[in-house]
Amino acid sequence: MNDTIIATHRLSKTYSGHPALRGLDLAVPCGSIYGFLGRNGAGKTTTMKLLLGMLRPDAGEIRLFGEAIESEASSIAARRRLAFVSEDKELYNFMTVGQTIRFTRPFFPAWRRDLEEKYLDLFRLPREKAVPKLSKGMRTQLMLLLAMARGAELLIMDEPTGGLDPAMTEEILLALADLAASDRTTVFFSSHQLAEVEQICDNVCIIDEGQVVIDGQLDDLKSQYRRILLVFDGQPPRELAALPGIDHLRQRGRTASLLAHVDVDKLLDRARELGARSVEVHPVTLKELFLDHVRGE
Amino acid sequence: MLWFKAWLETRWRFGLIVGMILLAWLAPLWLRSFHLRLPPGVAASRIWLGVHLGSLIIYVYSAIFLAGSGINSQTTYGATSGFHGSMLFTLSLPVSRRRLLFVRAGLGAIQTSVLVAIMVGYTLLQRPESTSALQALVFLTRSIVCTMAIYASSVLLACLLDEMWQIMAGFMCWIAVLALGFKFNAVSRISPLRGMSLISYPIAAPMPWTPLAASLVFAGVLLCGSVLVLQRKEF
Repeated sequence: MNDTIIATHRLSKTYSGHPALRGLDLAVPCGSIYGFLGRNGAGKTTTMKLLLGMLRPDAGEIRLFGEAIESEASSIAARRRLAFVSEDKELYNFMTVGQTIRFTRPFFPAWRRDLEEKYLDLFRLPREKAVPKLSKGMRTQLMLLLAMARGAELLIMDEPTGGLDPAMTEEILLALADLAASDRTTVFFSSHQLAEVEQICDNVCIIDEGQVVIDGQLDDLKSQYRRILLVFDGQPPRELAALPGIDHLRQRGRTASLLAHVDVDKLLDRARELGARSVEVHPVTLKELFLDHVRGE
Repeated sequence: MLWFKAWLETRWRFGLIVGMILLAWLAPLWLRSFHLRLPPGVAASRIWLGVHLGSLIIYVYSAIFLAGSGINSQTTYGATSGFHGSMLFTLSLPVSRRRLLFVRAGLGAIQTSVLVAIMVGYTLLQRPESTSALQALVFLTRSIVCTMAIYASSVLLACLLDEMWQIMAGFMCWIAVLALGFKFNAVSRISPLRGMSLISYPIAAPMPWTPLAASLVFAGVLLCGSVLVLQRKEF
């Protein structure tokens, strides 16, 4: 069994001369909840559309479920095994909940009626209710139901909790965590809500300007990185920026703030040699990792 | 189930045009209730010709209106620009784009044909002289085939443009074809608008093969073009 469910290699896409993706390399492990992060316009939605065959790459390779996606036929075969929840959660305005389910069911031979009933009850979705009368949260729940009942092995979601109230957000996140835990479904989702990502993801990838800047297991990343605050008598020395293992350096007055990912003790020794009077080491949050890597400093 | 979706998507359009036809049918009764009379000396055949020309407008309208709201044009007027988000749901299903187009265009073609058949029946019932079954069949066939050329052009436009522009561009195209037909004989000879007209080919005339063949070729080419556009399109 292939343990990577989504793999891209040097994936590139340009819109009218503007590069959206520049050699994106992704490897999403099977069964993970994978947070795909980046600023607006970083290339998240473009990546998802490329995975789903809605866009064609300019260069690079996409593999889903271990198979190369090179033609419409291979894309259709992959789409039988996945589900997609778009950012705006739009479904057909001319259908009811029941009609939407009835429409989707025949495309997926492994459709599970028991799960359909379970999630209709759990999400309190009335079959006869028209889709335009559903709130955004209920539309998200309906899309999740459609994804779960079809027995999707991979769920691709573009900002699943965008525009939802905290209670609905919690309900959706619990459903996602349950899905990944009970059915070994891989959840690949983009979000701007870093706290949510931290709450349920086991892997994260941060992209910026169409390239991966950080990728790995969330716990590993948090244990690898440290925030180091240094205070000097005067301006921090220029040599500080050249120290190995420093990802980002910010200076304000006599203070320097470093994000580092190597042997911190060695780094602290070097900083003291350079004249640091005060040294503090803090664990990092996902938000700090994100901001330090995409702020463009 | 794509047929089911296509039907739910277009049933109001279909119903709206049926409503228009009913209104047209009821218009004489309605006018009579106002004690309106036709001016003396207006021949029944001229009135009937007016009915026929009115029905041609309904053919064109049906063909253009029923081709919209397909895979590409699910825009909510004023709410969003560009595509409606549900299109992404459609495209994420394990279905080829060609099949999506064929089912949607197929159902629209059937609906358009039904509407044309209703109008042909109405036109022939209003005709002062009697019409043979063969004449009716010939007229129905050429009306449907020529309308399909207009329909296919609307399908192609629906693959290229948002719905509002598709409808406007559809009417503009066929007004241009009509105008060019008056100016150039070559256009007139092959024009589908001429093929469906009882002015150009009276009811007793044999099957007008030239505009019919041209309409078939035109519809086929435009449908192939629509498939190519849709398969290359990025969403």
